Amino acid sequence: MSPPRTAPAGDLPGNEPRCGHYVRIEGVTKTFGDVTAVDDVSLGIHRGEIFCLLGSSGCGKTTLLRILAGFETATGGRVLIDGDDMTGIPPYERPVNIMFQSYALFPHMTVEKNVAFGLRQDRIAARETSRRVRDMLGLVRLGPLARRRPHQLSGGQRQRVALARALVKQPKLLLLDEPLAALDRKLREEMQFELITIQKEVGVTFVVVTHDQEEAMTLSDRIGVMDAGKIVQTGTPSAIYESPGTRFVAGFVGSVNLFEGRVVAQDAGHLIIECEGAGCPLYSDRGVRAAHGDRVWVAVRPEKLQISRDAPSREYNRIESMITEVAYRGNLTMYRLRAASGAELRVSRPNLARANADRQDMGERVYVSWHPSSSVVLTS
Amino acid sequence: MLRKLMTGCAAFILITAAGVASAEEMVLNVYNWSDYIAEDTIADFEERTGIKVNYDVFDSNEVLEAKLLAGNSGYDVVVPAASFLERQIMAGGFARLDRSRLGNWGNLDATILERVAAHDPGNEHAVPYMWGTTGFGYNVGKVEAIMSDAPTGSWRMLFDPDVVAELADCGVTLLDAPTEVFANLMGYLGRDPNSESPEDVELFEEHLSKIRPHIRYFHSSQNINDLANGEICVAMGWSGDMLIARDRAVEAGQGVEIAYTIPEEGAVIWFDNLAIPSDAPHPENAHLFLDYMMEAEVAAAISNYVFYANANGASLPYVDDEVKSDPSIYPSDAVKENLFADLADSPAFTRLLTRAWTRVKTGQ
Amino acid sequence: MRWRTFAIAVPYLWLLLFFLAPFAIVLKIALSEAMLARPPYAPLFEWGPDGSLAVRASLQNFLFLLRDDLYWKAYLNSARIALISTAFCLILGYPVAYGIARSSPTARTVLLMLVILPFWTSFLLRVYAWIGILKNNGPINNMLLAIGIIDEPITMMQTDFAVYVGIVYAYLPFMILPLFARLVRIDHTLLEAAADLGCRPLRAFLTVTLPLSLPGIVAGSLLVFIPAVGEFVIPALLGGPDTLMIGRVLWDEFFANRDWPVASAVAIAALFLLVIPITVFQRLRADQEGA
Repeated sequence: MSPPRTAPAGDLPGNEPRCGHYVRIEGVTKTFGDVTAVDDVSLGIHRGEIFCLLGSSGCGKTTLLRILAGFETATGGRVLIDGDDMTGIPPYERPVNIMFQSYALFPHMTVEKNVAFGLRQDRIAARETSRRVRDMLGLVRLGPLARRRPHQLSGGQRQRVALARALVKQPKLLLLDEPLAALDRKLREEMQFELITIQKEVGVTFVVVTHDQEEAMTLSDRIGVMDAGKIVQTGTPSAIYESPGTRFVAGFVGSVNLFEGRVVAQDAGHLIIECEGAGCPLYSDRGVRAAHGDRVWVAVRPEKLQISRDAPSREYNRIESMITEVAYRGNLTMYRLRAASGAELRVSRPNLARANADRQDMGERVYVSWHPSSSVVLTS
Repeated sequence: MLRKLMTGCAAFILITAAGVASAEEMVLNVYNWSDYIAEDTIADFEERTGIKVNYDVFDSNEVLEAKLLAGNSGYDVVVPAASFLERQIMAGGFARLDRSRLGNWGNLDATILERVAAHDPGNEHAVPYMWGTTGFGYNVGKVEAIMSDAPTGSWRMLFDPDVVAELADCGVTLLDAPTEVFANLMGYLGRDPNSESPEDVELFEEHLSKIRPHIRYFHSSQNINDLANGEICVAMGWSGDMLIARDRAVEAGQGVEIAYTIPEEGAVIWFDNLAIPSDAPHPENAHLFLDYMMEAEVAAAISNYVFYANANGASLPYVDDEVKSDPSIYPSDAVKENLFADLADSPAFTRLLTRAWTRVKTGQ
Repeated sequence: MRWRTFAIAVPYLWLLLFFLAPFAIVLKIALSEAMLARPPYAPLFEWGPDGSLAVRASLQNFLFLLRDDLYWKAYLNSARIALISTAFCLILGYPVAYGIARSSPTARTVLLMLVILPFWTSFLLRVYAWIGILKNNGPINNMLLAIGIIDEPITMMQTDFAVYVGIVYAYLPFMILPLFARLVRIDHTLLEAAADLGCRPLRAFLTVTLPLSLPGIVAGSLLVFIPAVGEFVIPALLGGPDTLMIGRVLWDEFFANRDWPVASAVAIAALFLLVIPITVFQRLRADQEGA
C-alpha cells in the first residue's frame, strides 16, 4: 500500500512549505560504471511551482528525474519530499507520479481504465474512483473519449490522458519528462499554456525535464540549467536569460554575442574592458565581481544591439562592421555581421512597421552598438 | 495428422515422377526391408547386367502395403510378408511371374513353395526369399534367478497368467502385431490359429486381459535393444530380431545372455517374398533380378550375412555351418511340423481383431 | 495493379494447393466405401454403361465414428494430453521467453540460438534420446539409486509422464518463440508507469505484461496444441500401450485395418475438432487486439 497522500489542491499557495523547500535534493550523485551521470546535485524546489530541468541530451537531467521517481537509486546523497526521506522507497510507494515522454499509456486499456489504474492500486472505492476519473477527464477535456483506446487518440489527446493518469492520484510531486517533445509546434504552444492552467488549478508541484529552452521559459516558475551532471544555474526564466552566470548558460538559453577581453579599469558598478575582437573598449555595468587585469567575457543578446549607418555618439560599445546576411523572419529580422577584427556578430531587430524603406542591406557598412546596461560580464 | 498426409502426398508425387522419368531403361527400383541383403549382392548384379539399381528400404509391412495400395509406387521389386502378399494379390497389386525367364526356379525349396502356395495359389506371383518364426526371446540369467523352474520352452512364458505375473517386474513384452499374437495364442489354446470366428476373438481378448496387467509394452522393434540391455526379460519377437538381440548382448559384454525359443506348442512361420508390382515400370529387369536372387550362391551369401534361413534348397551347401546348424534359424523337421502360417484375414475380421487389440492395450 | 493481384493471389494459391486440394482428396475418400482394390476404396463417381453418372457417396464412415466410443474417447484423450502439454509448455516457456526478452541484446541472440539449437538434430533422434534418459537403467534412475533416494527404479518409460515429457520437450520452442516475439515488443516504460502508479512488480506483471502478451500466449498455445493433438511419434515411442491418442487410432485404421475411408473420416473429424478451438482463439485474439 502507498502511504496516504495529501491533497494539495486548494490549500496553496497561501500555506508556506514546512522548511523552505518542499522537495530537497541533497548532494545526489549517480554513476553508471565510470560515467558520472549526476554529479553532487543539490536543489530545493518550492511547493506548487513548476521547476524545469533544462539541459542538452546526456546532461543527466533524465537520470535525476528517474532518481526522483525511484527508478534509479542514487549512488550518493538523498531526496526529501515534504520532509520524508525517499531513500530506499520503491517507485510504487512514493508520493510521486511521472508523465513519460512516450506517455506509456496502457494500450490494452481504455482512456478511463488508464486514468483509473493508479487509484485501483490504492484500492480506492469504485464510486470514488469513477468520480475522480470523471473529474480529471473533464479537467483535461477528454470526457467524451473515455471509452477509446490509446491508439484511437491523437498525439495531443494521448498527452492529456497521460497527464490525467499521473495527476488523478494527487501526487505531492509530478515529474514530466519532455512533456511536449512528441507534439508538433502549434500544438506544443497550445499545450504549454494548458499545462500551466491545469497546474495552477490542481496546485501540484511540477518538475519538468526538457532540452527546449523556449519550453522551459514558457512553463517554468524557475529553471535549473544542467550541464555534465551538474546544476550550473538556478533561477527564474528572466534571471537565467538576462543574467546568465556562465558562458554556457548564456549560450544555451537563447543566442548571444560574446567578446573576450581584459578588465582595464573599473569604477563603481562599471567595468571597462579592452577587447581585440570588438576593436573598441567595452563598457558594462553588470557582473562586476572582477579585478583589474582579469580575463572576462562580455555577453550581449542579439535583440539588445542597435544598428545604425551613422556612428553613435558614445565611444565605447560601438563596433563597425559589414552585414553579411539578412534573414527575414516575419516578426523580426536576423542580421549577421562581420567586424573589422573578423569577429562574427548577430543582431535581431523587431519589424515594427509593415514596410521599412530605410532597411539596411547586405554588404552595407554599419555600426553596431549597445547600452552598458544591456551586457553582462562573465568570468567563466 | 494432415501434415503427415501431405508429406505422404509429396513423397508420392516425387516417386511417381521418378517412375515416369525412368521409363524402361537399364534401371531397377528395389524396395526391401532394412538390413535384409548381403553387402555386395546389389553391386554384383549391377556389374553383371549393367542395370542401375535404386535400392530403397522400409521397416514395416504396413508402410509397404500403403504404398502398393495407393498405386504407382514406382518400384519394380518389393518384399512383402506372405499374409500381406496374399491380400495384395487379391487387390490386384502384383504381376504374374513369367517362369520362362526364371531359370533358377528349380533351386527353391519345394516344401516352402508349398507352404507359400497357401498365400499365393500356384506360386504365381512371388518368389519366397527368407523365412523365420514368431517365438520369444528371453534373458537367460534373469529368468533363471526369478523363476528357476520357468517353462522356457513353452508359450506359458507369455500366455500363462501365473508365469507372466511372476516375471512381470523383470519386463514382459508382446509384439504390436495382433494377427501374430492371435495366431500364436490360438495355437497355445489348441484352437485354429487362422480362425475368424468372433467367439475366438472374444476368447483372445478375455485371455489377454488376464496377462495384460503384467505386460510392460506392445512394440515390434523396441524389444531388440531392451532385451540386449537387460531392460526387459521376455519378449515375443521375430526370430531374426531375437538373434540380433542375442548378438548385441554378447557385443555389449554386460553379461546378458539372450536365448530364442520356438515354443513346443507351435508358432507362426512367416515368409518374406520377392514380388513384382503389377504397375512396375521395369518388369523385365525385375525378372532378371529375381532370377539372380534365386542363384544358390547369391541366396547363401545373403543368409550368411543376415542370419535368416532362405527359401533356396540348392543354397544349403554354401550356407555357413554356424548358420545352418543353429536351430533358431534352421529348426529341426520335428519343430517345423508344428509351425503354422498366419493367413490373410478378411477386412471384417481385421477390424474386429484390431478393435479387440486396442481394447486390450488401452483398457478402452 | 497486376502485381497487387498477384501478391494477394499467392497466399490463396498456397492455401488451395496445400490445404484445400489435399482436404478435398481426403474428404472424397472419407465419403467412399472400403474395398480390396488399388486404391483400397470404391470410386465416388462412376460412369454407367449408358453414359449416366452415378455418385456413390455416403456418410457411413462418419456415422461409424459415432457408433464406437473408441473414437471420441481417443479425441478426448488426445485433446486432454495436448491441453495438459500446452499448459506445461506455457508454464515452462513463459519464464524462459520473459527472461530472454529482458536480457541484453547480445545475450538474447545466444539464448534464442540455444532455444532453436535442438532443431539442428533430427526430431526422431531427440525423442530416442529421451528413451535413454527415462529408461529404468537410465541416468535419472541410476543417479537416484546411487544417492539412495529410491530402492527400485521408477518406471518412467511407457507412461503418460514420458509422453508429457516428450511433447513438452519437443514443442517448447514453438511456445517460447512467439511468446518472446511478443514480450520483447512490450515497452518497458509501461512497467515503470505501472510501478509509478503504485503497482507492485507482481501486480504489474499480472495487469500489464500478461494481458499484453496474450496474443503471444494464444499463438504459442495453438502452435503447441494443434500438432500435439495429432502427435503420433512421441506417444508411440515414449508412451505406454494404454496411451490412447487419435494419431494412433488413425494409424490403426489406415495401416492395420487398411480402411482408408474410415481413416480419412477420422482425419476430417480431427480437423474439425481443431478448427473450433482455432476459431474461438482467433475471435478472442481479435477482441483483445481491439478494433
